Amino acid sequence: MSAPSPYGAIAEFGDADRMVAAIRHARAAGWSRMEAHAPHPVPEAAVALGAHAAPVGWIALASGLAGAAIAFGTQWYLSVHDYPLNVGGRPPQAWPVFLPAAYIVGVLWAAAAALLGMLWLNGLPRLHHPVFFARSIHRASQDRYFLHLLAEDPLFEPQAALVFLHSLSPLRASLVRAA
Amino acid sequence: MSTSTAPVVAAALRPGGWGFGVGILLSLAGVAVLGAAIAALLVLGVGVWGNNIPFVWGFDLIAYAWWIGIANAASLFAAVLVLRRHNLRTAVNRFAEAVALAAVLAAALYPILHLGRPWLFYWTIPYPATTGLWPQFGSPLVWDFWGIMAHVVVTSLFWFIGLIPDLATLRDRAATQGRRRLARAYGLAALGWRGSVVHWHRHQAAYRLVAALVLPLLLSAQTVVALEFAATLVPAWHEARLPVHLVVTGLPAGLGVVLAMAAVLRRALSLERIIDAVDMDLLARLLACAALASGAAYVHELVNGLLIADGAPREAFLARISGAGALSYWGAVVLGALLPQVLWRRDLRMKDWVVIPVGMLAAAGVWLDRWSLLVGGLLRDHLPVHAVPYVPTPAEWALLGGSAALFALVLLLFGRVIPVVAMFEIRHEETEAQALEEQR
Repeated sequence: MSAPSPYGAIAEFGDADRMVAAIRHARAAGWSRMEAHAPHPVPEAAVALGAHAAPVGWIALASGLAGAAIAFGTQWYLSVHDYPLNVGGRPPQAWPVFLPAAYIVGVLWAAAAALLGMLWLNGLPRLHHPVFFARSIHRASQDRYFLHLLAEDPLFEPQAALVFLHSLSPLRASLVRAA
Repeated sequence: MSTSTAPVVAAALRPGGWGFGVGILLSLAGVAVLGAAIAALLVLGVGVWGNNIPFVWGFDLIAYAWWIGIANAASLFAAVLVLRRHNLRTAVNRFAEAVALAAVLAAALYPILHLGRPWLFYWTIPYPATTGLWPQFGSPLVWDFWGIMAHVVVTSLFWFIGLIPDLATLRDRAATQGRRRLARAYGLAALGWRGSVVHWHRHQAAYRLVAALVLPLLLSAQTVVALEFAATLVPAWHEARLPVHLVVTGLPAGLGVVLAMAAVLRRALSLERIIDAVDMDLLARLLACAALASGAAYVHELVNGLLIADGAPREAFLARISGAGALSYWGAVVLGALLPQVLWRRDLRMKDWVVIPVGMLAAAGVWLDRWSLLVGGLLRDHLPVHAVPYVPTPAEWALLGGSAALFALVLLLFGRVIPVVAMFEIRHEETEAQALEEQR
């Protein structure tokens, strides 16, 4: 009977610097598919993993502009074409009065898109993830740092991955089951 | 478990003491009073309030503008902390965000309740009604609908984004303690956060982005409230300076409340190490600064009001500062602008018995400013009809006290079930401090 193929191999570190060094070693050794887990933002690790946060900003900017345009367009269409009201002879197309709501709605859409875009790019929310099978992964939200080599990496072979992780002198290293 | 964040988690996960129980009971009683005041309003109509021509607005809009001011300054403080995070404890921002959220919830009650027929509030939303009519998009009252709605949503988003990783910490702590149902509740709210470094990177970008987006919204929220006054022809209100006046004079209220609550919280939850002397010092100096800016706004108001060539606004302003409205006007100046100046003295601003009363009195001063504007501003109108002065009724007092109780209840529950300060920020700062020490 053969063991089910694992989801990956994970190593636990006591501080952020060791994790960052481990990520750099793994990248240098040719590993390409990996995740790291930390209890707080570690910018150097994100750089080492090649993460980009700019898409969050672009999503927010595009949504904000779209929200403002839709709010302005709606007010303009309803006031000028659908139901023009003559208030003391003022022109129905008084564009300055459409600006406050357009501005506010634009900010609202941008803020909502920043949250939703961040979650979408992160693949959240999700109810479960195989990494939660890893021993002591709950400390990734408290005081431990993890490097997770994923099985989808072409280099991945369970024992070789473990040997490599042990060479980085972690607190412990183990395989993560897939289900 | 990192030792530094242990008291924060413990405050969220341990059973509440008797003080917490008493606080919850008192605020629940207050919320019951609020419910009774709202029920009386809905059943009997706005006649239960003391406002009448010419005092068309009374406690309703005073409290609205006041709560928005509190929410604004608290959000401003939180957003500034998130955006400039160098050598500065940013963990207190969570708590300032909670104050902002609670205040904006209290504020959101009033514009709906004051409508006369509150159950038709949805008429301000542009929806395809059977009447074929649309809201008047040129009206500041319609802008206000967007303003308050966006304020509620964006403040909540700001608060929630920062909270996601801390909810994951609570999930993991509760699971370690074997409290599975609690862990599941926190887990659902944490949206499956697993602390991935790449996720953190995008999370920080989104968090800062929303913090930056809060800032323009703060300007618009108070500005739109002010425009509701400025767009009328009432002499004391028809002023181009009013939006700036409301934004600037509103700041001491929120900073004062955040300061006083921070002083109480760090004692009550033993968080002196986390909300430390540097935080209190910064907050107190910010309040003094805001009061100074508020003082500048009053000086401008005085110069502008007395030098204006038009007789009607000058007389209206004179009535505000010297006639029947003098007490509220000068009370606002003393409490909102002058009293917080004592905080420039370091020995005074480090004492709880000074900052708590000064913070709360600054908030009271801003309330007096709103009273002076709304009630005092109508003492001299274009028409000489001023038979009945405005006197708030018990229903209005109940509404004001009830909304304060709602604010307190929301904050107590927040302090109970979620971390009052941002734990991941504390961890981040610790590792950075260690790295600095190692470099030396």
